[in-house]
Amino acid sequence: MHIAVCLKYVPDPSTIEVDPLTGMIDTGRMLYMMNPADESALELALRLRPPTGTVTVFSVGPVEADRLLQDALAAGADAAVRVWDDSLGSLKPTVTTILLAAALRVKEAPDLVLCGGHSVDRGSGTVPALLAEHLDWPVVTDVTQFEIQAGRIQVQRRLARGARAESEVALPAILGLETGLVHLRQASLPNLMRVKHTPIPLYGLEELGLSPQDLYFPAMTLHEVMPPRPRARIMFSPDPSASVQDRVAQIMSAGVAGKAGKIMDSGTPEQQADAIIEFLRQRGFLEQPT
Amino acid sequence: MTTAPAKEQFDVIIVGAGPAGSVAALLSARAGLKVLLLERGEYPGAKNVSGAVFYGSAILNQLIPNWWEQAPVERYICRRDIAFMSPTTAVALDFRSAGAGYATAPYNGFTVLRPKFDRWLAAQAEAAGAFLLTSAVVDDVLRENGRIVGVRVRREQGEIYAKVVIACDGVNSFLAKKAGLQREFHSHELSLGVKEVLGLDPAIIQDRFHLSGNEGIAFEYLGAITEDVHGGAFLYTNHDSLSLGVIGQVSSLVERRKRSYELLEGFKAHPAVAPLVRGGKLREYSAHLIPESGWSMQPKLYTGGMLVAGDAAGFCLAAGLYLEGMNYAMQSGLAAAETAIVACQRGNFSARTLAIYRKYLKQRHVSTDFRAYRHAPSFVNGPRLQNLYPEMVARGMEQIFRVDGAPKQKILPLAYRMVRQSSIKPGQLLHDVYQVARAYLW
Repeated sequence: MHIAVCLKYVPDPSTIEVDPLTGMIDTGRMLYMMNPADESALELALRLRPPTGTVTVFSVGPVEADRLLQDALAAGADAAVRVWDDSLGSLKPTVTTILLAAALRVKEAPDLVLCGGHSVDRGSGTVPALLAEHLDWPVVTDVTQFEIQAGRIQVQRRLARGARAESEVALPAILGLETGLVHLRQASLPNLMRVKHTPIPLYGLEELGLSPQDLYFPAMTLHEVMPPRPRARIMFSPDPSASVQDRVAQIMSAGVAGKAGKIMDSGTPEQQADAIIEFLRQRGFLEQPT
Repeated sequence: MTTAPAKEQFDVIIVGAGPAGSVAALLSARAGLKVLLLERGEYPGAKNVSGAVFYGSAILNQLIPNWWEQAPVERYICRRDIAFMSPTTAVALDFRSAGAGYATAPYNGFTVLRPKFDRWLAAQAEAAGAFLLTSAVVDDVLRENGRIVGVRVRREQGEIYAKVVIACDGVNSFLAKKAGLQREFHSHELSLGVKEVLGLDPAIIQDRFHLSGNEGIAFEYLGAITEDVHGGAFLYTNHDSLSLGVIGQVSSLVERRKRSYELLEGFKAHPAVAPLVRGGKLREYSAHLIPESGWSMQPKLYTGGMLVAGDAAGFCLAAGLYLEGMNYAMQSGLAAAETAIVACQRGNFSARTLAIYRKYLKQRHVSTDFRAYRHAPSFVNGPRLQNLYPEMVARGMEQIFRVDGAPKQKILPLAYRMVRQSSIKPGQLLHDVYQVARAYLW
């Protein structure tokens, strides 16, 4: 089995300091590291790798990201690929995933792609799903546990409020893993020294068969940035038209009512997706079709 | 599955990528040796702290001509102040030179920020061919037939072998102790330095310290600044920040129950210092031990297969007028590298061969300087010279300049009266005068 792991090169949050003179982040002091969720994805991949399998690590990033990929090689990954083009600046997840998907296709498609669910810098958590869209593979996000059996993966997902969902997908698939499931093993000294000067293959747009136009993705556009505004606090008052008994009960509950959530466990995926879109429309999260 | 390669063999393993380690690596790599430079920090300089004025410009210039053009230096030091303090007064000796070697190449000293400077220096060693490995903590030395043959790094399969190990792992050298070359230190031999870096606009620094362009100043303070703790204080200008700190002898900090950060706050609030640091915004806070006893705390500098250099060997000259460490670290690092090169040529790494390290240290004026000033630390770091006399000078000047209708006093009777009033006995005074003369004059 061939496993691919996507690694992101992120600033170490403990090294982020604001220069008191300028009020800006002092980039000169910033150190970079492997995104923690990706680290545990890598460790899981190394543990899962059967004797005949391989683990290949991918990262989209500037030349400094080579160190991260070398660290992954020292920990035991079989091959590493860095994707970058000097014309790329700060990347949105939409663009990153186009590049990653192309690299995965070029480099012999794997059976399983493991991603950290969230990065510590941007933290949009969208990479696994977007990657799945580009590859047209199944994806499971917020994965806390999984097991591979005969070409299928049994997955446990984290839901809100401590709930868990279990699902099953067929390989090839993409998993977005929770942070901190396992710790990455420490590389041995000989491995660490061996990888120090290992060249990391670089895939540019040309090698990926992409043109700059391909990186266009109809994504959201930023209209305005506003400081967060606290929600108005609403004092609870019981419904005056209710009976005394009901009003006392309402006061005793202090206005706490369970949120009306709904778990959809029936219908085809298409019906379920339609239901979600309808729900979002009703709540005003999506524009009404014109 | 990746497999371990055969036992890596190096000519030299250098532990610690500070000034001593990096120049040792640079010189040995240039001589064609296979060099491994180990650093415990995430990058060289990550764990290193000093004042930091680097007075070894001329030394480094011989290795890397016009090094300051490419290195991350802050300001060249062409002004130095030594101030004697009482709690309310300061009397300063102000030195300023636009002369050759101070304001012109190769310059006398530069303020540096160690995380940047050490990183650059280690990169020079790497460029010369040394193999730099960071995040590598050394746990022990490896011995074979009574000789040191390598080190153990805290990792799986961490044993690594070399013909010579050079320990440049700083004050309280773990390696020198493991090799049985160094004893445990006494608390009166070590000082604790606490330091702040305060961000300040370069234009304000220039105006406030009367500097133009890239000139810099180094202030050193003696006297009441550390209250009754034996020690002193410093303030240096960087490009857009000030480095300032207080140094206190560990034993007297403990004895007087003083906390070093309280002393630092007191220093910043002193009327002579407060206007200099006004408006500075805290950028960094750090602390470090300083080996201040010079000659008397030097370890045995070599044994079969191993040499000790830099702070690890106690090469830090803290003797009143002089507060120098990085230059001696480099000189001793270079001497250690020269020794390793000769040993590799001869193919012999016994203690007897490595004894030429002594000769090279002498040639580079390291051991001679420390021998010449061997008497300085014991009393300079004592209470009278570091605290009492400077304070008396400050108080005396207060008296001399005072115009209040009282009759003028001549200096000698004034001094006599002040000594009488203080706790100093005339015999002690004579003894101290002799000590100062012996330490600095001949």
